[in-house]
Amino acid sequence: MAFPMARHAILPRTAPFEDKERASLDAVLGAATPIQRAWLAGFLAGLDAAGGQPAAAVPAAPPKAAEPLTILFASESGNSEKLAGDVAKLARKSGFKPKIVDFFDLDVASLAREKHVVAIAATWGEGEPPARAMRAYGELMGEGAPRLDGIDFAVLALGDTSYAEFCAIGKALDARFEALGAKRAYARADLDLDFDEPAADWIKNTVKALTPPPGADNVVAVDFAARTVDEDDEAEPSREPRVVEVVDHVNLNSSRSDKETIHLALEFEDGAPAYEPGDSLEIYPENDPALVDEILAATGLSGDEALRRALLAERDITTLSATTVERFAKATGHAEAQKLIDSGEAKAWIEGRHLIDLIQSFPATVTAEHLATITRPLPPRAYSIASSRKEVGDEVHLVIAAVRYETHGRARSGVTSTHVADRVKNGAKLRVKLKPNRHFRLPQDPATDIIMVGPGTGVAPFRAFVQERRAVEAPGRSWLFFGDRHFTHDFLYQLEWQDALEDGSLTKIDVAFSRDQPQKIYVQDRIDHHARELVEWLDGGASFYVCGDANRMAKDVRNAVVRAYATVKSLGEAEAEAAVAALERAHRYQQDVY
Amino acid sequence: MAEQTPPRTYETPPTERPITDAEAARSAGLAHNEHLKIASGYLRGTLADGLLKHATGAISEDDGQLVKFHGMYMQDDRDIRAERTKKKLEKAFSFMIRLRIAGGVVTPKQWLALDEIATTYAGGALRATTRQTFQYHGVIKSNLKRTMAAIDATLLDTIAACGDVNRNVMAATNPAQVGAHKAAYQLGKDISDSLLPKTSAWREIWLDGERVVGGENAAEIEPVYGKTYLPRKFKTVIAVPPSNEVDIFAHDLGFIAILDEKNRVTGWNVTVGGGMGMTHGETDTFPRTADVMCFVAPEDALKTAEAVMTVQRDWGNRKVRKNARLKYTIERYGLSAFRAEVEKRVGKPLADPKPYTFTNNGDRYGWTEGDDGRHHLTLYVASGRIKDYENGPQLLTGLRRIAEIHEGDFRLTGNQNVIIANVPSDKRAEIEALVDQHGMMKGASALRRNSMACVALPTCGLALAESERYLPDLMTELETSLASHGLAEDEITIRMTGCPNGCARPFIAEIGLVGRGPERYHLYLGAAFDGSRLGKLYGEDVTASEIKTILDPLFAAYAKNKQPGERFGDYLIRDGYVTKTINGPDFHEKIGPLKSAA
Repeated sequence: MAFPMARHAILPRTAPFEDKERASLDAVLGAATPIQRAWLAGFLAGLDAAGGQPAAAVPAAPPKAAEPLTILFASESGNSEKLAGDVAKLARKSGFKPKIVDFFDLDVASLAREKHVVAIAATWGEGEPPARAMRAYGELMGEGAPRLDGIDFAVLALGDTSYAEFCAIGKALDARFEALGAKRAYARADLDLDFDEPAADWIKNTVKALTPPPGADNVVAVDFAARTVDEDDEAEPSREPRVVEVVDHVNLNSSRSDKETIHLALEFEDGAPAYEPGDSLEIYPENDPALVDEILAATGLSGDEALRRALLAERDITTLSATTVERFAKATGHAEAQKLIDSGEAKAWIEGRHLIDLIQSFPATVTAEHLATITRPLPPRAYSIASSRKEVGDEVHLVIAAVRYETHGRARSGVTSTHVADRVKNGAKLRVKLKPNRHFRLPQDPATDIIMVGPGTGVAPFRAFVQERRAVEAPGRSWLFFGDRHFTHDFLYQLEWQDALEDGSLTKIDVAFSRDQPQKIYVQDRIDHHARELVEWLDGGASFYVCGDANRMAKDVRNAVVRAYATVKSLGEAEAEAAVAALERAHRYQQDVY
Repeated sequence: MAEQTPPRTYETPPTERPITDAEAARSAGLAHNEHLKIASGYLRGTLADGLLKHATGAISEDDGQLVKFHGMYMQDDRDIRAERTKKKLEKAFSFMIRLRIAGGVVTPKQWLALDEIATTYAGGALRATTRQTFQYHGVIKSNLKRTMAAIDATLLDTIAACGDVNRNVMAATNPAQVGAHKAAYQLGKDISDSLLPKTSAWREIWLDGERVVGGENAAEIEPVYGKTYLPRKFKTVIAVPPSNEVDIFAHDLGFIAILDEKNRVTGWNVTVGGGMGMTHGETDTFPRTADVMCFVAPEDALKTAEAVMTVQRDWGNRKVRKNARLKYTIERYGLSAFRAEVEKRVGKPLADPKPYTFTNNGDRYGWTEGDDGRHHLTLYVASGRIKDYENGPQLLTGLRRIAEIHEGDFRLTGNQNVIIANVPSDKRAEIEALVDQHGMMKGASALRRNSMACVALPTCGLALAESERYLPDLMTELETSLASHGLAEDEITIRMTGCPNGCARPFIAEIGLVGRGPERYHLYLGAAFDGSRLGKLYGEDVTASEIKTILDPLFAAYAKNKQPGERFGDYLIRDGYVTKTINGPDFHEKIGPLKSAA
């Protein structure tokens, strides 16, 4: 038989179908959930109403409005936002009418009117919310937050175990919703950088948990306009990893510099993905073979080639988190390591230490299987793209600072940056993935002025901006604030900025080199110095962009802009702050910080 | 039989003042720098705007010429030139800043301030020049104004330290002759002050001084120089015999103290037309030793200095820049016409020179005692580079410690050395202890004590070969050779420059080495130990490794055949190894070895 028999025949024999058709429908409908059946009813009704087919049947009951679901996201790098989209997609299939709300745009008071809320929140830096979410997060945690009685919620927390305050924001939101009277529909998950699979599971379970028990008369109104969302998804550039060839690899710092910043040009053989200035590219790195060998030696596993390959390319063998210590203690049964956790000293101990320190400090019998459970998958690392396709065609340019430092008497290095700096040469292949960033975009109108603040590698997207605006002959003015340590040795892309000033794609440049003179000078000091002109530009409609260090620079720059308003317009602190907040609301103050 | 000098014919000197009108300058075919000066608004150019161009560490080419008048040269680190373009970086531009320190006298307080500027903005090194001043290297554009403000706070400046003006005036340092030195220093200081450009551009650009308005009248703004300043650089020195430490014959204008039996200055012999610079391969350019033109009474000295400079201002060649210095003016119009014009401007006839004797052009190292009972310590500073040497003398720190307690002053010498001067008897031991503690008196060989090298690579844009960084190694080799011939204690002057412009005055050193290309030098021999005679080109394009091979047999012959007290340069001429150079015009004649030294 071509079609499996439905367990329960649904359609009566009197139904106006051929036997074969009836069997097919039974096969589908018999396995369908009530909500699926309700949706189908709504769909068919809606289809006819939309004139898709001549109406033949009247639905058994008038369609009822689909269950609303609000999906909040607080995103810095775009991961939470992407997952919010995944939730929406599944929820729609399950009969919800999903609405995605960026924390950036969230009106906290309106939350009280919601019925179902899913919140996806990233934790940033030392336990902080993403910059764009700062305001709404503050309001929600503050005294003015509304009661949320009668609301079902679920929180998905994203984080990075290599930071001490893992998933702090997600945890705080989860507790806050409950404290405000909302009812937890599904338990929170705290996910590390390898969140893909667990996030998909959590989304499936959460949507299921939120689904209201259907009544037999349910007919879900199908929103046909929502189909355009799916079409948008299809238009998005591919997010699949691709293999690229390194066609240029230059250390931009002078040989006299104590810094090392690699300009990397990557070529896509079959055409670069449709990236936009502001987007990022993820690089899948490999670990330092010397470190791999050290770990193998320390565990007595040298000679296991398969393990060596796995440690090189697949496992994160540097990050040491409390979780790592716990897993290690559990796997090896090491009493001392367990004591570290039990005494609560683990958190302090892991500070500045890596996996190798753990293995060497607590000698134990470690197997290849242990290493697999102890470590997490090696995450890719995102870098802001430093080129425009309009200028470089099928290439993507990145600018990557090699991270090297010393802690506890041992030289440490950033996995991806030193992989790129030390072990990747011209002609090498890299695996990469595009990571769009809709929140860091040039103004729609090329006549709009732009102000760009990008010290160090923060200058990357602005190289893309200037290339793009040169290519489209944008009439808007552009002003770049750049900074680094030394003018002579660390002025990234100096000759290109000179050309850009010459051809007009860059109108102005101000520079701050911190170590050229006794008093340290930073980009925010230059903003202070040019406060009047800066406010003039902003009053004239300019968009303001900041890229680079999130911990200090971005905050210092924002404070400098607030200060500029206060000084130039003789405003009080609150008014000046409001002026900058208004810029942010209007998407005229954008940040790409890390 | 004495050599017959052919009778010279001279051109008729001009009677007009220099052209200051742009249009007229164009039709007269004046050199580019003349147009620049005319258009510069008394040395302003576009310097103020150039400092605001933050994307580049450079200034425009024309401003690069003008900024010399302000005491600076734009340079770049040539060691790292090759890598820069690939790294999307422009050349590693920075500025050399030269101070104006008349007579090279610096107070301890100034020393400490200058040291701090070096440490803060100039790579931790103070460089004593061959003309009794300091220069800083490696100051980047964004720090120029800070550096200049710090210099201004020391009550020193950099005005006219370079450029087509009367540059830093040198004066004898010989502290043993207290009265004569005072007179020499005073004359030098008076000339320096009197011939200083008066434009307010320096203060305006570097210290954000207010622009002085309303002055388009040259007689008010630059009463002596006018809009176009001098045709070329102009260097003045004051010497007190028997020491010719200031190398008076290598300078445009000089005054030789004529002393009575009590070492009092009775007046000055005036020298004119010395100069080192030439261009390789162009025989109409040449170094020249100065002529001793006349004698002037003390009260006429300053006026004479002004007259010499203004005659050069009016007569100097403004069409062909490489022939613009006073030495060519004198060759062109003749010494007697020049002297007549100077006398006209001084307003009286000037007497013929009086006899004098120089014995050397080097420094007296170690402690000396002045006739006033004060003590003076001359320290050897290799190539004038005052810094803390790895495994060597801690000159920068040591001199800083000394400056903190010193009650006298410091003197920079024309040989790139430093004198801790005017130490009272009861302070001598304390200073001596500091000198020892910082290893500042480690014995240098006789050759080193009589050596000089210019900066050359990596910063000097003119350098064709290494100098300061190579001469020490070369001297190590030569010391071995000299010692093997028993000449270790013989004083022989050796000087090296990276190009033929002659900053370290190589053409009047007994062994002169002038850069031609990487590791290639012209070797000049036969100059006088007292700096009164030029050498002669002996070896062309000699590679670094050949220098010792060429000199070793000459050292051997000298050791074997020299007469008592005979100097190396004199010996080579007497024994027929090299032709004696009479003066500039025959500098390029009869070059090369006259006989084999083997």
